[in-house]
Amino acid sequence: MKKALLTFAALVALSAPAMAMDVSEIVNKANHTAYYQGEDGRSRVKMEITDKQGRKRTRDFVILRKDVGNKDKEQKFYVYFNRPADVNKTVFMVWKHVGQDDDRWMYLPALDLVKRIAASDERTSFVGSDYFYEDVSGRNPIEDNHELIETTDNYYIVKSTPKDSSLVEFSYYKNYIHKTSFIPVKTEFYDKRDQLYRVSTAEAVETIQGHPTVVKASIKDLKSGSQTVMTHSGSEYDIGLPDDIFTERYLRQPPMEYIKR
Amino acid sequence: MLILSETAVNKPKAFMRFAVILSLFFIIGVAVPSLFPKQFPFLHSLSVDTDPENMLSHDEPVRVFHNERKQEYSLYDMIVVGVVNKTNPNGVFNTQSLNDIYTLGEYAREISWNNDNGENQGVIEAEMIAPSNVDNIEQAGLGTVRFEWLMKTPPKTEAEAKAIYDKASHIPFLDNTLVSGDGKAMALYIPITSKDISYKVAQQLKDKIASFGDPQDEYHITGLPIAQDTFGVEMFIQMAVSAPMAMLLIFLLMWYFFKSVKLIISPMIVAMVSVIVTMGALVMTGNTVHIMSSMIPVFIMPIAVLDAVHILSDFFDVYPRYKDRKKALTHVMEELSKPMLFTSLTTAAGFGSLAFTPIPPVQVFGIFIAFGVLMAWLFTVTLVPAYIMLMSEKSLEGFGMAHQEDEEHPSSMLAKILHATGRFTYARAKLVLLVMMVLIGISGYGISKIQINDNPVKWFTEKHDIRVADKELNERFAGTYMAYLELSPAQNLHEAFGKKLSQSLEGKGKEAENFAKAIPTIGTDITAIKDYIYAQQDAAENDDTYYAWDDIATLVDNTYGEFEVFKQPEMLRYVEKLQSDLLRTGLVGKSNALPDVVKTVHRELFLGNEKAFRIPDTQNAVAQTLITYQNSHRPNDLWHFTTPNYDKTVLWIQLKSGDNKDMNKVVSAVQTFFDNTPPPIALEHNWFGLTYINTVWQDKMVSGMLEAFMGSFIIVLVMMTFLFRSLAWGILSMVPLTVTIAFIYGIIGLIGKDYDMPVAVLSSLSLGLAVDYAIHFLARSREASKKYGTWSETIKAVFGEPARAIARNVIVIGVGFTPLLFAPLVPYKTVGFFISAILLFAGIATLLILPALMTVFEKILFKRKDA
Repeated sequence: MKKALLTFAALVALSAPAMAMDVSEIVNKANHTAYYQGEDGRSRVKMEITDKQGRKRTRDFVILRKDVGNKDKEQKFYVYFNRPADVNKTVFMVWKHVGQDDDRWMYLPALDLVKRIAASDERTSFVGSDYFYEDVSGRNPIEDNHELIETTDNYYIVKSTPKDSSLVEFSYYKNYIHKTSFIPVKTEFYDKRDQLYRVSTAEAVETIQGHPTVVKASIKDLKSGSQTVMTHSGSEYDIGLPDDIFTERYLRQPPMEYIKR
Repeated sequence: MLILSETAVNKPKAFMRFAVILSLFFIIGVAVPSLFPKQFPFLHSLSVDTDPENMLSHDEPVRVFHNERKQEYSLYDMIVVGVVNKTNPNGVFNTQSLNDIYTLGEYAREISWNNDNGENQGVIEAEMIAPSNVDNIEQAGLGTVRFEWLMKTPPKTEAEAKAIYDKASHIPFLDNTLVSGDGKAMALYIPITSKDISYKVAQQLKDKIASFGDPQDEYHITGLPIAQDTFGVEMFIQMAVSAPMAMLLIFLLMWYFFKSVKLIISPMIVAMVSVIVTMGALVMTGNTVHIMSSMIPVFIMPIAVLDAVHILSDFFDVYPRYKDRKKALTHVMEELSKPMLFTSLTTAAGFGSLAFTPIPPVQVFGIFIAFGVLMAWLFTVTLVPAYIMLMSEKSLEGFGMAHQEDEEHPSSMLAKILHATGRFTYARAKLVLLVMMVLIGISGYGISKIQINDNPVKWFTEKHDIRVADKELNERFAGTYMAYLELSPAQNLHEAFGKKLSQSLEGKGKEAENFAKAIPTIGTDITAIKDYIYAQQDAAENDDTYYAWDDIATLVDNTYGEFEVFKQPEMLRYVEKLQSDLLRTGLVGKSNALPDVVKTVHRELFLGNEKAFRIPDTQNAVAQTLITYQNSHRPNDLWHFTTPNYDKTVLWIQLKSGDNKDMNKVVSAVQTFFDNTPPPIALEHNWFGLTYINTVWQDKMVSGMLEAFMGSFIIVLVMMTFLFRSLAWGILSMVPLTVTIAFIYGIIGLIGKDYDMPVAVLSSLSLGLAVDYAIHFLARSREASKKYGTWSETIKAVFGEPARAIARNVIVIGVGFTPLLFAPLVPYKTVGFFISAILLFAGIATLLILPALMTVFEKILFKRKDA
């Protein structure tokens, strides 16, 4: 009898991580859908920042992305700016790592300058928009503890709490993950006072080459009243991007055949 | 008018009842909505307004501009918390102090709540300037630039603590603003949603600070919103202390003069009812209690008892003769009703003239004092006689001078002095006039030395916390007084852009031509044009069309770039030049502007090399520097200095002094700069910010008060001429007050006292009051001359009872204003001191100059009598 009880206790102990596995599966699938579909990808982006006063700023750029391996881990991004015209040919490049800081570069053509940007803090603004670097390249799921707090007809609602809260400005975020497509449709960020202050939304989804793809997304900063909308066009997967274009050399010589096609 | 007093004498009880009901009406009318605002939303409650901005009306262009720009550039009213450590050699840059500052900063950013209407109120976290939420940009290893929070966590070692200072002082935006130039102090800037919550926020900050328990750090909480809230509190202290004190003083003086408590209750009733009615009317008509209107009770009180003092003074002298209340009163009222009416009308006219100044709080002050004066007159001519009638004859026994004062051999001290004065002015008339001429000459010189200046922070006394904080912070930082200068192209650039765009589209293909045709309907707004192009791209059937439109978008952007004037290096260098010119004034501690942002980022892009601390050479380089900046934690800080279209720019100018004269010097230095240094693109410049706004209302005050003074001078002169049916007598009546005002302003100029808001209002205030003495003196002289014939005989009589009434009045009213000296705020003290001085001097001038003039010009003045 005593043994039976012990076995039961062991079962309970074992089933706990089994349930956690569920959440992490959801989170991993969502992470995959958001950032890792296909081996590589390309998309033209129009970014429109509208501030509280209704003043608008736009940035037009092309994102090239290539995965390293197929473990949903390492990735490389190449962001080429078309407009504003005075930042034309400016490039941001990211080598996304897991378990260590990303590598980031920028190329400023008018200053003929390639700079590395220290990426110790990824929650700085991406070119003045409401997007953080981390929103563009993706937050690694292992940085947070995840908890499935609710399952509705359409969504898994996952609450994610950072393992190291000193690195981020939020205390947790809630992710509304679509049950069948695993697209994170809405992400709500809460501050230390448990107040919602930032919302990321997938505004439109299209299936491209069999992949459900967010083609319009927005982030709204409730504190500043500013909002940024990113509209994608010409999204493509598996275009066979060569590895070497994601190197410093190509910052000065952008691979136009992949950028403009 | 006599009829009013007669009615009151016949129906005294009815009049007393009326006064009580009237007072109750106003007390209830104010108390009910103030205590139960929710139940009586349709009634006006007592509301205090301490905002110096309200010296200008809401639709004043400079104020409208100020508020628009504040919104456009996301500038807020700020609470400034200065932290100073005088014992540690590293100042506050030690682990303990920074730990506390960190705690305070983190605490401050979370201060927010929802008000009754569900609106969020409190600290605007995103715009706060504290070490834990400003960005540091610096080198992080070879060829790497880093944006990081300046003090993300409190430092653990003293070296780390010291490094915080080194980092911040390397960033122009933070140097001398967040950290002090001497490396000892730090200042946190806490923007708040609205000024009226500053007290609440400051209280929470104070509580937090109290919990630190480190005696080495001094915390100074200041900033204009705090000053204003404190002002409100002190204003009430002033009203609660000064008004009752004035009441008490007047009571004691009258008791001394008339020796009958029962009798002098009546002027106190008059004063009380007048104040209640006036303040009640003020609040019930929806006017706010402002720095000016808060002085109304103190003004009404002495003025209200003035006429009553005349009645009592006369009654005091006359009653022993009649031993009958009714007869004595009839005698008194016959003699006094006309001068009392006129003195009240002139006083009301003097204050009423303030209604023509362009400053709303001064208007309200003038109008309601005028109203109060007329109320006081009404209550004096009715309630005082009514009150006397309600006293029993018995209680008046032994009242008044025991015997008819022997005018040849006066017994009381006052009477003796006055008799001597009378004899002196008659015998030495020319000497008196000579002295007067000399005084006028000196005064003229003094007036030419007058310096116009004001500074609302100096409204607090020197030992006040706010003044101490002000001094401490301005010694250590670049200055806490903020003024903003906006530069914008003198010409509308939209048209030029449209033209240029059409030109550049020529011969650029089918889509470009179609687009050129569409421009007139789209307009030249860049956002509308971009939206149009995006729509075309979305609708594009193939990539060729898409990229054709893409090329147009780039072309549009390129063309538009020329009109983003403040991205152009030559324009930024021009702003840079203006900034260094500002520093040369010696009044500006520092200015923050767009070139500082560009230069700082440019330097860090080039390995932190000081030589790279400059504006890059091309517009694209500037743009790319700025886009790098926008990768920080606080990209929106850029919009404090320019607009997303870069068509305008703002310089933040920090002054160490909030004196209007200093602000004016900076304004004219900037004007000179623009006159001598033409910009590459024609610009116009406009000022805003509270430090500048203060100078605007000061200018209005100075010119407005001069006009009000001239206006009331003429009105009073006309009234005097009408009263005496003679221009000569009219002019004569204006002499004492003219000499007095010239003399007082001469002194102000000579001793170097700034001509500020309270001093400016004095002239009009005193005009209406000072003329009263002349009216009484001249009216009584004329009456007496009918009886005595020659002036030499008349003057003896005039320096009897009439002169005593005037002298008593001078003393009562002069002393009546002195409680203002005990008020906690400087403007009240100034008004109290100078008004007392003016009234005492005007009394003396009346009793010396008028008889001297009448002696010299007897023939002109009394010719009709002689004829």
